[in-house]
Amino acid sequence: MMMTAETILSFENLDVSFKTDEGMIKVLDGVSFKLEKGRTLGLVGESGSGKSVSTRCAVQLNARNIRIGAGSRIVLTEQDGTQTDVLSLKPNSRKIRDIRGGEIGMIFQEPMASFSPVYTIGNQMVEAIRLHRDASKKQARELAIEMLRKVGISSPEQRIDQYPGELSGGMRQRAMIALALSTNPNVLIADEPTTALDVTIQAQVLDLMRSLQQELEMSIIFITHDLGVVSQVAHDIAVMYLGKVVEYGSTKEVLKNPQHPYTQGLLKALPNVDHLEDRLSPVGGDIPSPLERPTGCPFHTRCPQAISGLCASSMPAPTQLTDKHEVSCHLLTQQEAAS
Amino acid sequence: MSLAEQQESPRNEKLIEVEDLQLYFPIGKKGLFGGSEMFVKAVDSVSFDINRGETLGLVGESGSGKTTVGRALLRAYRPTGGEATFHTGDGPVNLITLEGKNLQKFRRHMQMIFQDPYASLNPRMTVRDIIAEPLEANNIEGLSKEQIDERVRETAALCKLNLEHLRRFPHAFSGGQRQRICIARALVGRPEFVVCDESVAALDVSIQAEIINLLQDLQKELNITFLFIAHDLSVVAHISDRVAVMYVGKIVEIGPTEEIFYRPRHPYTRALLSAVPRPDPDAEFEPERLTGEIPNPANLPQGCRFNTRCPMVTERCRMEEPDLRSFGEGHNVACHYAEQIVERFKA
Repeated sequence: MMMTAETILSFENLDVSFKTDEGMIKVLDGVSFKLEKGRTLGLVGESGSGKSVSTRCAVQLNARNIRIGAGSRIVLTEQDGTQTDVLSLKPNSRKIRDIRGGEIGMIFQEPMASFSPVYTIGNQMVEAIRLHRDASKKQARELAIEMLRKVGISSPEQRIDQYPGELSGGMRQRAMIALALSTNPNVLIADEPTTALDVTIQAQVLDLMRSLQQELEMSIIFITHDLGVVSQVAHDIAVMYLGKVVEYGSTKEVLKNPQHPYTQGLLKALPNVDHLEDRLSPVGGDIPSPLERPTGCPFHTRCPQAISGLCASSMPAPTQLTDKHEVSCHLLTQQEAAS
Repeated sequence: MSLAEQQESPRNEKLIEVEDLQLYFPIGKKGLFGGSEMFVKAVDSVSFDINRGETLGLVGESGSGKTTVGRALLRAYRPTGGEATFHTGDGPVNLITLEGKNLQKFRRHMQMIFQDPYASLNPRMTVRDIIAEPLEANNIEGLSKEQIDERVRETAALCKLNLEHLRRFPHAFSGGQRQRICIARALVGRPEFVVCDESVAALDVSIQAEIINLLQDLQKELNITFLFIAHDLSVVAHISDRVAVMYVGKIVEIGPTEEIFYRPRHPYTRALLSAVPRPDPDAEFEPERLTGEIPNPANLPQGCRFNTRCPMVTERCRMEEPDLRSFGEGHNVACHYAEQIVERFKA
């Protein structure tokens, strides 16, 4: 595998399906990527690409009808150096409950849906802190106030006794971040943390996450569909399409020199403020329904450069372009074979 | 452009003129014994024109009143003050005072495309019935069943929907196809004016571009006028001829798209633009820090309403509310220090 820095969380060959009335729906197909210590990995993709499902596997938060393939592993390296395959843990075991919210913190898109509206912010933070840290109620409360101050909430001594509904959207998202960080996690999974926010507030939250990462040496998985946001926060990017990582590498390599037709298409489809007159070039066609998953390369139904007879029948293997850039596309395997 | 050309160009013929539009929502009385009534000033004296065939973009943060402006123009709400005139082929119509039958008849001139195509289609109606409903409701145009069917097919084709899709139900369609159904429903009565309220916000990037292109094509073909409400500035920049920036119920800057995006003169517009991250890892991302909270529209600060967050606030801003002032080419700005800002932006 590429990249040699210290790996904190490693997703290896993740195969995931959901069992439904319509039959088995495959949502992840051999997904592999790594989160390195102190870095941010951006997971980019459109709806149904499997960004959320893959990270939720790491904390076992998926629905009960999930079926995970036998060869799949998610290896977590804890702060004391021990390695655990998270998928081998029982969903209600002591260990996974320690990891969930402890070793791995989570921030979700809609802060209003993640807080309980009937308890104060402080109440919920103290509960989380005492669950994962050895602290008295008083200590936990002090820690919570300190975290709220750290994320830039003014007069935290008063805010801590307010209910989530009394805070504005940006404030709630900050409180959510404070809650996730108050247990001192090693890994933070941020699932579209700024999508519901205004751009001005989004800029503040991104700033905040960046400075906290430096301060606490956290490793972050940042899930988003916004290529602008990901280019500002992520060191590495994995582009996903229908449960496959199609392109994976350093942010600079992937965005400056995209090699997969899907990544290229996404970048071209974005409206650009510097070229107002140009007509947009959409990626043709629709995202296929998960019930009718295409054979071969999942993108071949929309790919402008699909090779007839090849892309529809076989899945391309990843091609290593540089040690920081990996692409799964037949165009590249063919080029390699020719040269 | 010479005067003669200006008059010929359809872009300079006004379709809608809005002056001092106000929409205050009552939120009860102050004090126990019915003191003064309190209001949320969702839209507070907003004036602008929309020319025939153009797209006016309306941007601002949540709570700025952009959706309320759109709905007030469509008379989903009844404005509490101001003037709004709609210039149809048969002469001007006052949108504020329209009532009853007249309002009902007039509604076919104006339509809306909503944000969420999963929530705005009735799952128990076929696509054909959904698209035909605006024509069949009251049948103001007096069309026969054959004419309606003909119009539905024609509109569906314009919106790039397959004709065999007309018999299906909405659940069978993806987000992009659903949004095309919503567009067909809005356009089937051939409205002159369409409000797009975050119409592409719920769509994936690869689909979003397709819908934007479709809206632009339809605009040309049917000579529709759009009010395009969105929070995504790059989308607005792309589709709009002119852009208005709203902040807590007021327009703080309005002008041609290039003026607003390349030569912004209001500190709020500048802060908004600087906060949009670009998909380029080398691009500098230095958003202007806006501290402070968005004011409560029921309890506005004295003076300029941006003074609680403005990086260049002075004593004057806390006392005196700035009016919209013209800076040429239809570029109007409500800031005491608009002259200095362009200088600062250049440096």
